[in-house]
Amino acid sequence: MLMPKKVKFRKQHRGRMCGKAWTGGELSFGDFGLKVMEPGWITDRQIEASRVAMTRFVKRGGKVWVRVFPDKPVTKKPAETRMGKGKGAPDHWVAVVKPGRILFEMEGVPVAQAAEAMRLASHKLALKTRFVSRSDA
Amino acid sequence: MAMQISLAAEKRTTSGKGPARQMRMAGRIPATLYGARREPLSLTLDPKQVLHILRSESGHNTIFQLTVAGGETTAAMVVDSQREPLQGRLLHVDLKRIAMDQVIRVKIPVQTQGEAAGVKLQGGILEVVTREIEIECLPAEIPEHITVDVSGLMIGQNLRVGDLKLEGERRVMTDADRVIAHVVAVKEVVEAAPAEAAAAAAEPEVIKKGKAEEEGAEPAKEKGAEKGAEKEKKK
Repeated sequence: MLMPKKVKFRKQHRGRMCGKAWTGGELSFGDFGLKVMEPGWITDRQIEASRVAMTRFVKRGGKVWVRVFPDKPVTKKPAETRMGKGKGAPDHWVAVVKPGRILFEMEGVPVAQAAEAMRLASHKLALKTRFVSRSDA
Repeated sequence: MAMQISLAAEKRTTSGKGPARQMRMAGRIPATLYGARREPLSLTLDPKQVLHILRSESGHNTIFQLTVAGGETTAAMVVDSQREPLQGRLLHVDLKRIAMDQVIRVKIPVQTQGEAAGVKLQGGILEVVTREIEIECLPAEIPEHITVDVSGLMIGQNLRVGDLKLEGERRVMTDADRVIAHVVAVKEVVEAAPAEAAAAAAEPEVIKKGKAEEEGAEPAKEKGAEKGAEKEKKK
């Protein structure tokens, strides 16, 4: 799973996700991409599951870029624990995304294959997404 | 370049996000016109006409005739545009006056031609690294795109900016060593074993601060824990 090598603090506040993705919203590497249409957290497991779904589908065909990195720790209290006694232990990592952010990019495959790969990847995510290509711009 | 295209603009006296938003609601977008050592002008444009220009064959390098209502008529081109990230609607456009007798620097899209031998015979992937290169030429000589033949590329070989040969008096301004496209081998996907995944789930290293701060932080934690314990006892 993706996670930072070093962090300054073990735990973080939840934060807010207002506004749109004014950076990271355009295709930079590949010809096709998956754009997220609503704000949310994408977990390290979801990113990995999407990446595996895409690479398995295109097999030896294309190249995939992951444009988000889960750098925010999410804590969780153990089951059947009373409230209080401080914040829980770090459980997993998430990437905070805002609407318009490109999550994945792909190159080296026909458009239909890329669209199908992105569709499979989008099923691993809990957010609404859209397939984009360079010709749309 | 297509000088037959004309774009109508109106002068704008307002500025700021409020009037700009009202303008967009009314179906027009704010724009600014500058260059040729003349005063900049604030304008409003029809976004449909601008999109028509940007989606043409020559794209943002199209030189068109800009007619400002009650003002000048000049040759201009789109040098920058802002778009809304979700729907891709135009928000603002920067236009530049073009003097047809002076050389200008423009970014030209690079298009690949042919199927690389490394892709066809060796099963590699053609990766286009540089999609636009900067050239210097007269406005009338701006090409729509630069076509590069990649059919001879094998795995590990690349095509650089220095390999390009441009016609006429066009000069390439991008670094000659910059790679335009290369063929890379496909990496075998290795499925991570569950044991490796569990090992990777360990916490990352926390960057430690100075000793004094650490010492100050620890008693605070202990105090908090003591208070919690006292509350438990009371209950």
